[in-house]
Amino acid sequence: MESGYDVSRRRFFQLAGGIAGAGILFSACKKTSGPTDVYIGSGDTALLNYMYILQQVEAAFYTQAVVTNYYGISQSELQLLTDVRDQEIAHREFFKALLGSDAVMPIDIAFSSVTFADRTSVLTNAAQLEDLVVTGLIGAAPLLTNTDYTREFNKMVTVEARHSAYFKDVYAYNTFSTGVGSNAMDHSNSPSAVLAIAQQNYILTKFDSRKLPN
Amino acid sequence: MNFRNILAEIEKTDPEVYERLSGRRDVLRSFGSKVAAAALPIAVGSMFKKAYGKTTSAVGDALNFALKLEYLEFNYYHVANNTGGLIPGSDQPGFQTIEAHELSHINFLTNALTTMGVTPYTPKNYNAASNIPAYIPSGAYDFTKGGTYHVFEDYKTFLIVAQTFEDTGVRAYQGQMPAFFGSANSTVLQQALEISCVEARHAAHIRYVRRLSGAAAEYPAPWITNNIPPIVALQANYLGEDNVGQEGITITSLPGASGTIPQASATAAFDEPLDAPTVLALVTPFFIL
Repeated sequence: MESGYDVSRRRFFQLAGGIAGAGILFSACKKTSGPTDVYIGSGDTALLNYMYILQQVEAAFYTQAVVTNYYGISQSELQLLTDVRDQEIAHREFFKALLGSDAVMPIDIAFSSVTFADRTSVLTNAAQLEDLVVTGLIGAAPLLTNTDYTREFNKMVTVEARHSAYFKDVYAYNTFSTGVGSNAMDHSNSPSAVLAIAQQNYILTKFDSRKLPN
Repeated sequence: MNFRNILAEIEKTDPEVYERLSGRRDVLRSFGSKVAAAALPIAVGSMFKKAYGKTTSAVGDALNFALKLEYLEFNYYHVANNTGGLIPGSDQPGFQTIEAHELSHINFLTNALTTMGVTPYTPKNYNAASNIPAYIPSGAYDFTKGGTYHVFEDYKTFLIVAQTFEDTGVRAYQGQMPAFFGSANSTVLQQALEISCVEARHAAHIRYVRRLSGAAAEYPAPWITNNIPPIVALQANYLGEDNVGQEGITITSLPGASGTIPQASATAAFDEPLDAPTVLALVTPFFIL
């Protein structure tokens, strides 16, 4: 890696530090206006929108992580980070296409607790986000009425688990399964609980999720 | 999911649900105290099957099939972890974790099946009285596949077969999931997903180990890219992984970071199921029949 590149990167992060500290706002996304919360639908539509929301968060996280990639990133790490970004965009766009006119509008996302210039911050937050989505997909899969959707959730959840394992391993080798339960099983959580965590940590948009199955 | 809510929901569309359960309300009430908490939901699922005139065979068969694969994996790692000089010191903690996980899965599935009233699968030469009953010292497995793979002599070969077992295991679990569809088995589905995610973590880890150890020819990612196998001879385990169509949506036609989603990421973003006959055909050469 040539030193000139490093210096320019350091300068960039000095400049970007203020923005990162305040949280990166996706200003291109339309802001929620007025007191009305965004209605996410009921039944399967609500569950698909719920997952569409989580995939928007993941895609936004990795989009930012690739653009302002952390200091000291290796070629291998950048390649895989970019691959994960594209997989999460694939998930996001899949849900958007599946939902059609029922899809919620693009949401406002902020990663105020993430320092994208810092390797530890990105890797640990990535693993945390992946684990959240794993628990969310497992919790939601049995609630879907249309089992074709269940099958898609199943296909995606093991990929999210692969992502989590990878980021944990990169951060600390052999820790790919840190946090799994006592029977060597991943955790599950209800849609409302997962959405609340996502809402608290990453999302500025408010939702009307009263008809979200649980 | 709240059990009483399930009953209430079913009662809406089937007012005779309680009669179908034929006087089992008392059973329901006392259920929790009689069976292990972890296995309770599976037992409940089996009761619904009975109530609706179905047998537990579909669920039991699927869980027993998973159990058979867990035994195969456990024995593979147990032998490897006890073969001096095979696994480098820095990699040993990971493989000890994986071995312990497979044993946990064996115990969980065995308990669940027993609670359902289904006889749990045990491998050939299984001996319940041995020190580690799950470990079958001889006669059950041929991990070299008739001398093709020197898995306990060559670490790279060990990793190749380990990756293939784990990736195939993930696909096998996914292939069994439809047996758990429907509200009666929602907890079984949840638990099967929880297990399959840990198998996916194993696969990701082993792939990462291979990436670090310089498997340069394919330079594996922690996920399955297209249908690329670790070696050509194991291509069959990866057929269908290059699927880009999900629910009638072509993932490679969707907008990506720039242009459309790259094929590599579109295929990696979804693990693809394999049905039981396909998986059996793939793993049978590793069994001594």
